[in-house]
Amino acid sequence: MNLEDELRAALRREDPSLGFAKRVVARAQSRRAPRKTMPRFIWAVAIAAMLVIGLTATYEVRQMKAERAGRDAVLALRIAADKLNSAREKVVRREN
Amino acid sequence: MRRILLITFIAVCASSRLPAQLLQLRITGLDGLASKATESADITLDSNLLQMAAGFLAGADKESKDGETLKQLLAGLKAITVRSFKFKETGQYRREDLEPIRAQLRSPGWSKIISSQTKEESSEIYTRIEQGKVAGFAIIAAEPRELTIVAIEGSINLNDLSKLKALGVPSIPVPDKKGKQE
Repeated sequence: MNLEDELRAALRREDPSLGFAKRVVARAQSRRAPRKTMPRFIWAVAIAAMLVIGLTATYEVRQMKAERAGRDAVLALRIAADKLNSAREKVVRREN
Repeated sequence: MRRILLITFIAVCASSRLPAQLLQLRITGLDGLASKATESADITLDSNLLQMAAGFLAGADKESKDGETLKQLLAGLKAITVRSFKFKETGQYRREDLEPIRAQLRSPGWSKIISSQTKEESSEIYTRIEQGKVAGFAIIAAEPRELTIVAIEGSINLNDLSKLKALGVPSIPVPDKKGKQE
């Protein structure tokens, strides 16, 4: 047998045995990775953490806003008091 | 029927709020001055912000009476608006710039309680009295290099206000224009 005949024999077309396709599908399904599910407590922790972060951020923003308003109110009242006193002094000075 | 009642309710609410809104002083016509000024203050506080400010100041200054005094003073207020400008040179604003504000203060309800006028400067103080109490207060202080307009809405005791400096109100550091603490 020469090389040419050996190759022809090796590459000869052969039909698969009966039930080959079914066996392939069955094996593929058996190897499919199991579906991972996240435990419920992780969801609960994540939601609780988000709530805490959200509430803390809201409180901080409110505090900053209040601080800014407080400083503005002090400055506004100081300017008002200063100008009120200045006007009163001018009137008193003029009358004297 | 419900719709008619709702419309009536909204109309009653709107009409009851209208006079107060009309009497509230609006500081207009000074928008261009901030760019000319070396220092300026632009403060607008509505009732919500004033409530927050009162809470913050009372908490920040618990040990002295000032915090409580401030809280009481702010409790009666509905709005504060301050526009203050300091200029390097004279002639940066015109007397006519103040006319829209003066025109509002000439409307019924407002009365001038202090007026000091010289060639170079003027100080005017107006109040609006409602049911025997001060319900509004306005200051126009025009100096050659400084212009200040203050409008306060709500009940305020002017004697308490004038004493504020003596009470040491600015115990809380107030940031200046560059953000530094005084």
